[in-house]
Amino acid sequence: MSNRIKSFINKNRQYIPLSATALLAVVAYTAGAILYPGMRNPQVFLNIFRNNSYLLISAVGMTLVVLTGGIDLSVSGVIALTTVATAALLRGGMNPWLVILLMLLMGVALGATMGVFIVYLKAQPWIATLAGMWFARGMCFFISDDAIAIKNRLFDIISRVRILIPGVTELSAARGSSIPYISIPVVVSFLVYFAGIFVSRYTRFGRTIYAIGGNEGRNEQSALLMGLPVNRTKLLVYTINGFCSALAGIFYSIFVTSGHGLYADGLEMDVIASVVIGGTMLTGGSGSVIGALFGIFINGLTQTLIQFNGSLSSWWTKIVIGLLTLLFIGVQSLVARGKSWRARVEMMGEEEAKHYRRKRWLTRAGVVAGVVILSLSAIFLPKLTNQEGFGQVTQSSRCVLQAYRREKVDEYVADGAIIVYERNGGSSCIDEIYAIYPDGLIIGDNGNEIVEKQVTVAEVDLLMAGIVDYGWFTDELYDTWHIPCGQCYGYYLTVVKDGHEKTVKGVDGGTDAPVLFWQSLSLVKAIVPQFDTSG
Amino acid sequence: MNMNKEDLLVEMKGISKSFPGVQALENVDFDLRTGEVHALLGGNGAGKSTLIKVLTGVLKPDKGKIFLYGEEVTIRSPQHAQELGISTVYQEINLCPNLSVAENILIGREPMKRGVIDWKAMNAQADEILRRVLGMDIDVTRLLGSYSVAIQQMVAIARALEIESAKVLILDEPTSSLTANETQQLFSVMRKLRSEGVGIIFITHFIDQVYEISDRITVIRNGKLISCDQTASLPKMELIVKMIGRSINELDDMENIKRKMADNISETSVLEAENLGKYEWIQPMDLDVRNGEVLGLAGLVGSGRTETALLLFGIDDPDSGTLKIDGKNVRKFSPTNSIHLGVALSPEDRKDAGIVDDLTVRENIILALQSGQGLLKYINVQQQKKIADEFIRLLDITTPSVDQPVKNLSGGNQQKVILARWLAIHPKVLILDEPTRGIDVGTKAEIQKLVLSLAEEGKAVIFISSELEEVMRCSHRVVVLSDREKVGEFSGDTEEHVLIEKMAGSVT
Amino acid sequence: MKKKSMSETFRRLTESRIFLPILALLIILLFDAIFIPEFFKIQVRGGDLYGRVIDIMRNASTVMVLAIGMTLVIATGGIDLSVGAVMAIASSVAAIMMNPTIIGVELPPNLLAFINDPNFTYSPLWEVILVTLAVSIVCGLWNGLLVAYMDIQAMVATLILMIAGRGIAQLITNGVRIQIFYEPYSFIGQGWILLPFSLYIVAILFLITWLITRKTAIGMFIESVGINPKASHYSGIKEKRIKLLAYTFCGFCAGLAGLIASSNIKTSDAFNIGKTIELDAILAVVIGGTSMSGGRFSLPASLIGALVIQAITTTMYALGVPAFALQAIKGLVVVFVILLYSEPVRVLLNKVTSEKGRPL
Repeated sequence: MSNRIKSFINKNRQYIPLSATALLAVVAYTAGAILYPGMRNPQVFLNIFRNNSYLLISAVGMTLVVLTGGIDLSVSGVIALTTVATAALLRGGMNPWLVILLMLLMGVALGATMGVFIVYLKAQPWIATLAGMWFARGMCFFISDDAIAIKNRLFDIISRVRILIPGVTELSAARGSSIPYISIPVVVSFLVYFAGIFVSRYTRFGRTIYAIGGNEGRNEQSALLMGLPVNRTKLLVYTINGFCSALAGIFYSIFVTSGHGLYADGLEMDVIASVVIGGTMLTGGSGSVIGALFGIFINGLTQTLIQFNGSLSSWWTKIVIGLLTLLFIGVQSLVARGKSWRARVEMMGEEEAKHYRRKRWLTRAGVVAGVVILSLSAIFLPKLTNQEGFGQVTQSSRCVLQAYRREKVDEYVADGAIIVYERNGGSSCIDEIYAIYPDGLIIGDNGNEIVEKQVTVAEVDLLMAGIVDYGWFTDELYDTWHIPCGQCYGYYLTVVKDGHEKTVKGVDGGTDAPVLFWQSLSLVKAIVPQFDTSG
Repeated sequence: MNMNKEDLLVEMKGISKSFPGVQALENVDFDLRTGEVHALLGGNGAGKSTLIKVLTGVLKPDKGKIFLYGEEVTIRSPQHAQELGISTVYQEINLCPNLSVAENILIGREPMKRGVIDWKAMNAQADEILRRVLGMDIDVTRLLGSYSVAIQQMVAIARALEIESAKVLILDEPTSSLTANETQQLFSVMRKLRSEGVGIIFITHFIDQVYEISDRITVIRNGKLISCDQTASLPKMELIVKMIGRSINELDDMENIKRKMADNISETSVLEAENLGKYEWIQPMDLDVRNGEVLGLAGLVGSGRTETALLLFGIDDPDSGTLKIDGKNVRKFSPTNSIHLGVALSPEDRKDAGIVDDLTVRENIILALQSGQGLLKYINVQQQKKIADEFIRLLDITTPSVDQPVKNLSGGNQQKVILARWLAIHPKVLILDEPTRGIDVGTKAEIQKLVLSLAEEGKAVIFISSELEEVMRCSHRVVVLSDREKVGEFSGDTEEHVLIEKMAGSVT
Repeated sequence: MKKKSMSETFRRLTESRIFLPILALLIILLFDAIFIPEFFKIQVRGGDLYGRVIDIMRNASTVMVLAIGMTLVIATGGIDLSVGAVMAIASSVAAIMMNPTIIGVELPPNLLAFINDPNFTYSPLWEVILVTLAVSIVCGLWNGLLVAYMDIQAMVATLILMIAGRGIAQLITNGVRIQIFYEPYSFIGQGWILLPFSLYIVAILFLITWLITRKTAIGMFIESVGINPKASHYSGIKEKRIKLLAYTFCGFCAGLAGLIASSNIKTSDAFNIGKTIELDAILAVVIGGTSMSGGRFSLPASLIGALVIQAITTTMYALGVPAFALQAIKGLVVVFVILLYSEPVRVLLNKVTSEKGRPL
C-alpha cells in the first residue's frame, strides 16, 4: 500500500508545491470561516475572484513567461498605461469596443518590442522589461497628469452586471439569504485562465515553453539542439504577456472607473509572488498555469482575512505574502537540490537511504509547518485570545478622537441633508460637522460656533454627481481606520441618495484607504465654508 | 570485412586544427564504416574531443576534408550536422529533464488530433519507438529527470535515431555514469544498431569495454593519429602503450638527477593517508609522501587520480580514514586549512578551477598566498609585482607585463602561473594534477624539470599525469590506481610494462 | 616613438572601464553647457555654494550611496533588489525612535507638548542613527545568509525582503507617515556645509569603501569570487563569507540612504520611500561598466553612473520637460545602455578599436 503511495507521489512530484498551496488555501479559508461568521457568506468567497480578476489574467501571462525562465517587470506599467489611454480615448468619444481592441493591440506591440530586445539583442529579461515599465509609465503622463474618470455605458455595464451562478442561486433563494454573484471580468478571467491551461498543455507552443525553461539555463541549449523554435517561442511569450497586461489593464480601469499613471504601483510584485506561490519556479521549466489561480486566491484570501480581523493593519498582507513567497521559494530550492540528492540516495544502502529520506521529509515538513503556524497565528491569535494584537495601539494621552456623532448626523439627514461631512482630530483637537442640503444650504457646526453658506442647486447636484461617480455606493469605497498621528484627522462622510445612505470613514496618513475616498472628500472640502478658528 | 568504398559513412582526411599556442590536431585521418562500432581513444587534451567537434560542426578545421557517404561536405553548424545525419549523445544529456520521456522523444513532432496535442497517441508512439529501436520498456509518462542517467542516455539515443534519422551516432563517454548492468544494456542496443547499419563512434576511456564492443580502435595522442587497428588484432598491452606513449626526448639527464636525489629523501612522511576513502570518489587507500620525494600517481582516465588529489587537498570530507600532515591529524577539511598546513593543489582543469581569468598575472600568482594571510594583511601592488616578477623569472613565464589579464596567456603560461601561485605559499606538499596537459612540448619538459627541482629543494611532490612516461621519468615512487582503487605501489625504476599491466586492470 | 605611445595610451584609455560612463557624463554636461543658459553657474549664499551642478550631485546622493553597496554585491555575481524596502525600514525605525507616540509609548505630560518642536527628539540623534544602521545591517545579513549559505538565487532571495520589507516598514509605524520635526535630523539630507552635507556622506562612504576594498584583500577576493567561484574556493578563499560580507554591506548602505532620503522629505513614508530606487542603483552600476555576471568592479565608475542618471534627470527638468516624461526617457536610456553593452555591439566595437587581440 505504501509502495503505491510512494510511486504515486514520485510520478506527480512536480505537483507537490501546487498541492501544498491548495491545501494551504483550504485550511486558511476554513479557519477564517470558523473564526469570522462574516466569512461564511459565500459572497465573500466570490468577491475574492471579483476583486482580483485582473490579477488572475496577468498571472496567467506571467506564468508563461516565468516558465521559459524569464520575467516581465513591465506589467504594472502596461496596465497603468492601458487605464490612462482607455480613459482618455473614451473621454474623446471613441467607441468603447474600438478602444478595447486598440488597447489589446498596444499591449501586443509593447510585449513584442520587449521580446525582440530579449531574444535578438540578448538583453537580460529583467532589464529589458524594466525599461519597458519605465517607458510605459512615462507615456501615461504624456497623456494626462491627473486621473481621468471613465464614464462610459459599456464599461459601466461590465462593472455592474451581476452574473448569477446556476444552482447556487436557487439554494440561496430557498434559504432566504442574499444571492451570490460574480461579474463579467471574473468570467473573462476564467476564460483566459482555461485558455492558458489549454495552451500550456495541449499545444506545441506550450510544450516548447516548458522545454526552454529550467535546468539552470541548460534546457534552452538542449531545446535548440533538439530543433525547437526557441527564439520564436520566447518572442511569442512576451507578446502574449503584453496582451494579458493590456487586458488586465482594461479590467483594472473598469474596477476603479478611471485611469491614472500611478495606478497598479508595485503590481508586478504581487503577480510574481502569486505565480511563485502557485508553484511555478522562477528558474523556469517547472510549474503550471493551474497554480496561478491558487496563488491569486491566496493573495486575495490573505487580504480578506486581514480585513475581517480588523485589528491588523492591511500592510500585514505584504508581510504574509512575503513570508509565503519565501516559503515556496525555499521549498522549490530544496526540491531542486533534491534531484542530485536522489541519484546519490539511489546508490546508498537501503537502511542509510531510508534514514536520510525520513530526515529530509521531517525537516521540510517542520519548516513548512513552522511558517504556516506563525503566519496563521499572527492573524488569528488576537481574535482568539481577545487581546489586542500586535500592531494595535493603546489609546493614550493625546487628542482622543471624538466619536462619530451618529445622532447629530441622523438629525441632519432626517432634516433633509443629502451630504453630511464630519472631520475631527488634528493638532488642535477639533470636531467639525457640515450638512449639505439639496437646495444649496450648507450648515457647519464645530461645537463652538455655527456657520452657514448658500450655494446654487446646480453646484450641489454637481457635487453629488461627482461623489456618486466615484463609486460611492459600490464596494470600491469602504471604511479604513487607524489610530491617527498627532496632526492627523479622522473623516466621516455620509451620503444619501435615492433612499440609500452610506457612510465611509477614513484617517489621514492611512495608506490603504481607497483613492476615490480622498477625491470625494476634496470635492466636499472645496465647497464647505471655513470656521474662523479652524485648525 | 572488406574495405569497400561504398561502406564508408564518414571519412576525415588530413584534419588540422590549432588554437593560439597549441596545435590541437595535426593531419589526422579518421573514417567510419556503416554497421561498425569504432572506438576513439586518447587522453584528455589529446585531441579527440577536438576531432569530434570538427565532425559535429562546432569547430571548423584549418586544413583537411570531410566526406559523408563519399561526398565532400562542409559542416556549417551543429544544426547542419544533425541534418546531415550525424547525432551526438553527450555525457551531459542534452534533453529536458523536466519533461516526460515521451515528450523528450517526440517534442516538436507531437501527434496532433484536431489541432490539439494527442497525449495518448504520443505516449503510445514513444512507447513503441523505445521498444522497437532499443528494446526498452519503461513508463514514458514519467519525467525524464526521474530516471537514472543510463535511461536518459537511452532516450537520447532513441530520439537521435528515430527523430533525427541519424546514420552516424557519436557516443561521448556514455558509460561513465552507468552500472555494469546498464552498460550491458547499452551494448546490446549498440549491437542492434550496428546490425542495422548505423555507424557508431564510441569515445571512452574504459579499455575493457573497448574490447567488448568495438570493431576498430583509433588512438590519438598529442593531436596526432597514432594508429587505427582492428580490435581483434590489437593486444591490450600494445594499445595501452600506444595511448600513453613512448617518450621522444632527451631528458635522460633527469634520470641522473633522480638517482642523486634518492639519497636525500627523508625517512619520515610529511603526508600520510590511512584508509582514506570517499563514497563514489575512491576506495579507502593508504598513501604517504616524504620530503624530497616525488610520488607519482598513475592510472587511466577515470581511475580516481583526481579524486585522490582532491581528498588529499581537503576539498571535501572523506567518508573514511585519516589524513596526517607532519604527524598531526587533519580535523577540518577545507582548502583554507590545507593552505595553512602547507598543502597545495594545482587542479586538473585549469580553466575551470585554476585561473581566475579576468584577474591579472600578479593577482593570480599571489591569490593563495593572500588567502592564507587573511583579509586584512593585504599584499599591496608593489609587493605583488615583486613576487610575480620573481616567479616569472623562475618559471620563465612569457607575458608582456604582470598586469596582463591571465586569460590572454597561452595554456602553457597559464599553467605556469598556477604553479607560481602554489609555489608562492612555500608549501610542504605540492600536488600537481595533470600539470602538462594541453601544453606544448617545450613547456612540458620545463615543468617536468621543475617537478624534480622542487623535490630537490626538499618539498614533497605528488605528480599526476596521463602520460606514463612522464610519471616514470619524474617520480621516485609510483602508486598505480585502477577503477578508483589503489592496485599497486612501485619504485620509480620499475619497468613500464609492469605498471601498464596494473593500470589495465584485469590480466590479459 | 611618440606617435606609437600616444595611440597606445589612447587605446588604454578607451578600453578602461571608466571611459564610457565619463564620456556619457561629459556629453550630457556639454549639452547642458550649450543649450541651458547658466547651467554651470554657481552662487554663493550665506557661505554655501548653490547651483544646478550642485543640485545634480545632491539629488544623486541616495543613489550614489546605494550604488556603492550594490557594486560590491553585483561584483560577487549577485544582485540586491531589496535596497528600496530596506530604506523604508530604516526611515521607519528612525522616525519611530524620534517620535514613538505612534506606537503608544507614553510620554510624560511635560514632554508631550514638545512633539512638534524642532528641537525635540525622544531618543538622541546618535542613538537613532546607530540603531537604524544596525537594523539595516541585519537586513543585509538576512539577504546574505539566504544567498551564500542557503544557495538561493540572489534575485529570488532579495525579492522576498523587497516584498515583505515594505510591510515590515509600515508595521513599525503602524501605517502612518510620521512627520519628523527634529531639525538636526533633517540636516542629514538638507544640510549644507559649503556643499550639501549628503555629499560628504557619499565621499566618506566612498573613501571608507575604497580603503576597505583596495587596501585590504577584500576587493580582490570579491572580484575573484565573481569571476570564478570555484577557482577562488580552491585557492582558499572563503567565498561564502565574502558574499555574506557584500550583502551585509549593501544593507548598511541602504540604511544610510534611507536616513538621507527620509531626512530630505522630513517624513517616514514607508509606502513610497525608495520605490523603484533599486533599479536606479543597478542601472548606475551597469552604466559604470561592472558586469552583471560579476568580477571586476569600479566604485568611481558606479558613482559616475549614478551622476549620469541624475544629470539626465536634471537636464530634462532644466529644459522644462515635465516630470512624467522623465520616466519614459529613463526607459529609453536603459534601452540605449542595453544596446551599447550588448553582445553584438561589443563584438563590433572590439573589432574596430583593438588590434587582432592575439594571446601571447
